[in-house]
Amino acid sequence: MIERRSSVSGEAAQLPTLSGFLRAFWSEAGLPAEGAWPFELALEEAFMNVVLHGSPGDRVAAVDVVLALDGDALTLTLSDDGPPFDPLGIPSPDTDAPLEARRPGGLGVHLVRRLMDQVGYARIAERNELRLRRRVTTAPPPA
Amino acid sequence: MTVVVPVGRLDFAASTAFQAEVERVLAAGGPGALLLDCAGLDYVSSAGLRVFLIAAKGCQRGGRVLALCALQPAVREVFDLSGFSRLFAIHPDRAAALAASGMA
Repeated sequence: MIERRSSVSGEAAQLPTLSGFLRAFWSEAGLPAEGAWPFELALEEAFMNVVLHGSPGDRVAAVDVVLALDGDALTLTLSDDGPPFDPLGIPSPDTDAPLEARRPGGLGVHLVRRLMDQVGYARIAERNELRLRRRVTTAPPPA
Repeated sequence: MTVVVPVGRLDFAASTAFQAEVERVLAAGGPGALLLDCAGLDYVSSAGLRVFLIAAKGCQRGGRVLALCALQPAVREVFDLSGFSRLFAIHPDRAAALAASGMA
């Protein structure tokens, strides 16, 4: 079990900090590089949702990200002290719609749902907590 | 034909510059096709997808042909999961894209 935590303010400028945190975790855990992107994407989408929805007015949310590798399952937990907001309640867009009917929005959460094996949201102790879990390949593919 | 080459990571931060470049090309007008060569693009999030959608809608309005080529595995999977693979003409590489547009 490897578990690491990063705490940042809920501002867009902190996204590179979290991307760097994920990459450092990936190296430390010795995970193959090609498996990182679904978690990079899930982290970006979840964090940007907090940036957009979790900081009304001048208030800036405090965000904690925990990465925990347990066997071959990696769990990403993102929590924030913003107002109650369940990103999993955002409806998925119609991905069969033609171009004329496509609007931006909703795709981020849709991608997270599709890329992760398990997703869950809870409001715990005045904090939003989003838990995302997916199996990872722990050994590099044979050469 | 105008070729735009997004490289590296199209995340929330990088998509702003990509959007500015796409809008510059669209505003320049002209009948020519627009090719987005993605050979060097290894990550795209929903913020990046949004710019691809802007390009598609702008080309449709302007009567221009839009093509993509050389999608790398992670980008391809994001396009597939989003239904974007059906919204674009996607070619395996730049040569195939040029041949399809009659520019080879």
